[in-house]
Amino acid sequence: MKRWRSRGRGMSMTSILVLMVVCIVAVALTGCMILFISRYQRAMEQSAKTSSEQAVEQVASVVGSYTRDMNQAMAMLVEALEEEEDPDAFFDNFLKIRPDVVAVTRYDSQGELLDCWALDRQPREHILENLSFDKRLLESGQESSISAPHVESIFEGYYPWVVTMTQKIDGEDGESWLALDLSFSNISSYINNVGIGQHGYCFLTDTGSSIVYHPQQQLLYSGIKNESAEEQLASRDGNYTQEDMICSVKDIEGSSWRVVGVSYVDELVTANVAVMIQIALTIVAAVLLVTAVSSLILSGVLSRPLHSLSNEMEKFEQNAAEYTYHPVKGAREVGALSDAFGHMVVKIQDLMAKVREEEINLRKTELKALQAQINPHFLYNTLDSIAWMCEQERSADAVQMVHALATLFRISISKGHELIPISKEIEHAKSYLQIQKYRYKNQFSYTFNVDPACEEFYCNKITLQPIIENAIYHGLDLMVEEGRIDVTVRQDGENIVFTVEDNGVGMSQEQVAHMLHREPGDRTGIGIKNVNDRLRIYFGEGYGLKITSELDEGTCVEIRMPKVKRGEYGEK
Amino acid sequence: MARSKKMRAVLSALALSVGLLCACSAVSTPVTTQKHRVALVVKSTETEFWKSAFAGAKAAATEYNLELSIRGPETEEDYKTQNEMIGQAVEDGAEALAFSAIDYENNVPAIEAAAQAGLKLVAIDSGVASDKISTYIGTDNYAAGKMAASAALQSGESQICVGLVNYDANSANGQEREKGVREILEQLDNVEIVQAMNVFSIAENARIRTEAMLKQHPEINVIIAFNEPTSVGAARAVRDLGLEEDVWLVGFDSNVETVDLLQSGVVDVLIVQNPYAMGYLGVESAYKLLAGQTDEVESTVDTATVLVTRENMFTPDCQKALFSFAGW
Repeated sequence: MKRWRSRGRGMSMTSILVLMVVCIVAVALTGCMILFISRYQRAMEQSAKTSSEQAVEQVASVVGSYTRDMNQAMAMLVEALEEEEDPDAFFDNFLKIRPDVVAVTRYDSQGELLDCWALDRQPREHILENLSFDKRLLESGQESSISAPHVESIFEGYYPWVVTMTQKIDGEDGESWLALDLSFSNISSYINNVGIGQHGYCFLTDTGSSIVYHPQQQLLYSGIKNESAEEQLASRDGNYTQEDMICSVKDIEGSSWRVVGVSYVDELVTANVAVMIQIALTIVAAVLLVTAVSSLILSGVLSRPLHSLSNEMEKFEQNAAEYTYHPVKGAREVGALSDAFGHMVVKIQDLMAKVREEEINLRKTELKALQAQINPHFLYNTLDSIAWMCEQERSADAVQMVHALATLFRISISKGHELIPISKEIEHAKSYLQIQKYRYKNQFSYTFNVDPACEEFYCNKITLQPIIENAIYHGLDLMVEEGRIDVTVRQDGENIVFTVEDNGVGMSQEQVAHMLHREPGDRTGIGIKNVNDRLRIYFGEGYGLKITSELDEGTCVEIRMPKVKRGEYGEK
Repeated sequence: MARSKKMRAVLSALALSVGLLCACSAVSTPVTTQKHRVALVVKSTETEFWKSAFAGAKAAATEYNLELSIRGPETEEDYKTQNEMIGQAVEDGAEALAFSAIDYENNVPAIEAAAQAGLKLVAIDSGVASDKISTYIGTDNYAAGKMAASAALQSGESQICVGLVNYDANSANGQEREKGVREILEQLDNVEIVQAMNVFSIAENARIRTEAMLKQHPEINVIIAFNEPTSVGAARAVRDLGLEEDVWLVGFDSNVETVDLLQSGVVDVLIVQNPYAMGYLGVESAYKLLAGQTDEVESTVDTATVLVTRENMFTPDCQKALFSFAGW
């Protein structure tokens, strides 16, 4: 219980070590990764803006050169109109080499259509509404303009979308206007193919913020989509971030058009960052795994000897006396600890041996003192009995008594040995009973039942006698009818078991419990407690006396000791 | 005890790393979806209406990286061929079908078979009598019919005699439009529907039948034609008979010819649908159904219609509705 608690109190060294190392590494790595990823994200954002800006600049320069080109063409046409002898042929040729020019029209100062040049096409007789010329130009005082996209409305059966460039001509025959209707064919394929990222795109607007050309113009016209960058149309040149979009706006030089580039933060930045985060996480996971494994191995190397040392200590704790120490190998510190423990074990075992020896000596002294104390009393009584026998001339009985007494004393002394063969102990008990039987005038009978195989083993001397004495004095003495004492000796596995059974008055449970703790009184000789203590000191906790008793039924005392052979248990 | 602690530490460390790795790999599995196959089966491949729808469908296919096949019979009455085409699309491994049914009833078996084969179904322009259709995208034809009827009432005549030039009587959208027209006109005392006919959806057939009708019923002063070919045919008939002053012609959809004749006064009103949107949204919905974004697909999507007259035809909005930008 106590051991369990002391173990359960803390985490094992391995866990602490692994946890600490992994935590530190994880925190450090996470910090690094966050720092790195935030830097990376910023860099990606910057590069997304830059690439968006570059794409827009590209488009601006291409479209700019296209508008410059068209301005030059316009100038050329104006010149041709005034100077060429056959302007119609010139215009036809011009239209042939410029398929993106749908029609060239000329208007007088009132805005009425004067001429129309278009390859193989003639304007309708009644033009419902001419979208190619905005009469508001006449009053505006502007020299030139570019219209918003519109449908070419002057032909029959032909309605392409165009923008119109208009230029005022101050000719000899008064002012007039020349208009070029341009389809988007020249710039559309270019703009359509501009990609910023995967889904980014560019479109053209004019300063009036209406869309001139958009790669998804039909989607816009069909009302399926709205250009979400419309908010930025009025913005000045530069980059704008709007929700998850990056808008780049750039004016086209020498034109009223501007280019807007739209790209998505998601695919340019977020996707890249996500990939980076994956890589980072993989690295973190791998590093953590390696760290965990290596710290596990390391802590294993460190803690294994400590574990075995602690196991050794546990073994020692459980059975200190018979423990033999096997040194534990490991780091120098562990080695030192192990050596120190080894020394300690030896020292403690020495001390334990010493304590036991002292205890045994103490008991021996006690035994001797007790023997000295009771023997005279017993002796006088016995001698009285013998004397009385002699007086009665029962010399045979007297002789027997004297013999028994002599045997009793011889064996009691046994040359000072503590352990004697069981046969001797039995003889001792028999002598004692014989004397007592005389003294008690055959008030009781006794039997011995000894397993002959047991006789060669040794036992502590004066083990049975105190118990028999106790049985006579406390069990049989008070009885009216004849008493009986049965002594048996038998083997029980590796043990020898003596039992002394009487049919006396018996004891209550309290008395039984008290029995093994009572100091010897005056009448009782070497106390039962003494016997029990001696056995335990000699053989350990598992051995000694066991008393079972029932009032008016009798008492049974069981003595258990190991099979002791001659020379064992240093019987001194 | 100590061993179990250690084991727990090992296990938790492993679990942590494995978890992280799993998270990584889960994120890193690229979206390597093969191109989805979408089939578009329509009523005809010839009219400007359907060409515009194809342009829209192609735009969506490009945008969503789909493999698009387009099929349509030669005439707008040939539901048998259309059924065969649906079957063919299924055989070719199409995963989704956007289609416009010629026949509300007779196209059902082919559609059900396609649904059985696991295709996602999107109806555009004209529906079919099946509940396997996930969404209908097109004009609210009933409302468009009412719109046409209102336009017919603008003719300025006090007694209005109407001739209806409709196409296939089994086609859902044409019937819906006619229902809308009748709903309005039949309530009015000064309006009489003199003749209602179903012609083949071919301009020449419509012209011949309309001429015959006008000759038979010279009192007719308003004609409503219900789709692009019938409008073209009716306009030709009115032009050829020189009745542009006498007959108020309300047509559907934008065709170069009707637009020309709108300017010259033969055609008076055009109800212009948005075929580009039908094509685009049809394919887009097919994609969404395939991609599992079913929540984003509504059961009906009304693509807007625009009423175009001679007066407003060149306003920016009507230009956008009338004239396709696609192809540039």
